[in-house]
Amino acid sequence: MGYGIEISNLRKEFGSHVAVDNLTLNINEGEIFAFLGVNGAGKTTTIRMLTGLTEPTSGDARVLGHSIRNELDRVKEIGNLSPQETSVAPGLTVKENLLFIAGIYGLSREEGLKRAEEIKDGFELHEVWDKRAKTLSGGWQRKVSIAMALITEPKILYLDEPTLGLDVLARRELWRVIEGLKGKTTIVLTTHYMEEAEALSDRIGIMVKGRLVTEGTLTELRERTGKDRLEDIFVSVVEAL
Amino acid sequence: MKGLTFAGRVGKEIMRDPLSYIFCIGFPVIMLIIMSIIDSSIPAQANMTVFHIENLAPGIAYFGLTFVMLFTSIQVSKDRTTALLLRLYASPMKPYEYMVGYTVPVCVLGIAQMLICFTASYLVALMRGVSFSLPSILLSMFLLVPSMLMFVGTGILFGSAVSEKAAPGMCSIIISAVGMIGGIWMDVDGIGGTIKKVAEMLPFYHGVKLSRLPFGDGLQGAGVHLLWTYAFAIIFYVLAVRVFTSKMKKDLK
Repeated sequence: MGYGIEISNLRKEFGSHVAVDNLTLNINEGEIFAFLGVNGAGKTTTIRMLTGLTEPTSGDARVLGHSIRNELDRVKEIGNLSPQETSVAPGLTVKENLLFIAGIYGLSREEGLKRAEEIKDGFELHEVWDKRAKTLSGGWQRKVSIAMALITEPKILYLDEPTLGLDVLARRELWRVIEGLKGKTTIVLTTHYMEEAEALSDRIGIMVKGRLVTEGTLTELRERTGKDRLEDIFVSVVEAL
Repeated sequence: MKGLTFAGRVGKEIMRDPLSYIFCIGFPVIMLIIMSIIDSSIPAQANMTVFHIENLAPGIAYFGLTFVMLFTSIQVSKDRTTALLLRLYASPMKPYEYMVGYTVPVCVLGIAQMLICFTASYLVALMRGVSFSLPSILLSMFLLVPSMLMFVGTGILFGSAVSEKAAPGMCSIIISAVGMIGGIWMDVDGIGGTIKKVAEMLPFYHGVKLSRLPFGDGLQGAGVHLLWTYAFAIIFYVLAVRVFTSKMKKDLK
């Protein structure tokens, strides 16, 4: 397998503030890559650039070989995003929300229905299936929001703090879904939960002040820092700067 | 196609809001009934024709379109505050598909509103023994289409340019202006002077006049009203496209 995402010298400046500082990184196809970092480290800005939500100041990234600078339409077709904030159409039912996104990504009605049924089973959405999104609890809305990113069967999936606001059971349930995608979908994940990155990721990157300070498998990070727990690894890397 | 998918979602969101029924459908019918009762109480010697059903029906149909503007602005401004639009910006949707998505459902709503208004007017006319022909109704509806597009454009413009809280306020300024100088509730021609001059500079008076022509002496003099109405419809709609697109680009910086 080749690279799902090749990032070269990607940089984003907001005025004098450098949000992402010349990020260079390759993410393998089918791999789950987790970005860790404190608030403002540049994780979300990186995802925003990769999904076309923010224009890079300089540098480029190729998503399955397509440049985010010159082939953004193609890049948008092959990926999908679950934003940090819950992102649902409040007046639509859960089923309608899923079919809506399926339609936006060009799936036929039949394909959309078939995928929606699969998602319903996978996310155990049966009890809320015909309820309008605005009547659901925050946790349910979050699940629906993530399900909406998966209905298009994206080749690249961006999950920006996907389990924020979910209870322990819902989080574990989502982990199972994400683990099921391993090897099939390239996933870029941002999270503040160390155990989440530990449980799900093939590789982990730690960002500090816009810079990717270190990246590798958990074993590699352990060897590099001499620490065992990811939380200790993270703290040692951040505090060393 | 993506634009129509988006339109389906916008339409559902609007139609599931009970206020849509109250303002877009209930309001014109209630106004029609109230104004008809007022009309029947005004002595013929007063020579006040503004509330006669042939003037009232197209006037209320026009006024009802201002509520379509209000709903459009609320929908667009509300969408801008949610992360749903962020998700859609990351999707393969093109800017023009957003415009299709907002325009189509509210136009359907506007046409439905006109149909209800004219159907109710037809029944009132029947009860009062006034001639109210179907071709005149259809022609009046046809002539209201550019005004509808202008109000939809204005709704998208306000929804894109200002916040969710400010958009209804901006719309209420237009609604008040339409009510006062559009000639719906008062005889602008009869008042004349500065009021008429101001009214003639804005599109509302012309739009109302145009919609009333099929119920009067025919389409003589329609040219200037058509020109004014189409010009403003194009200006406001193009402005709406530009502002929405530039806001989108700004969001994506």
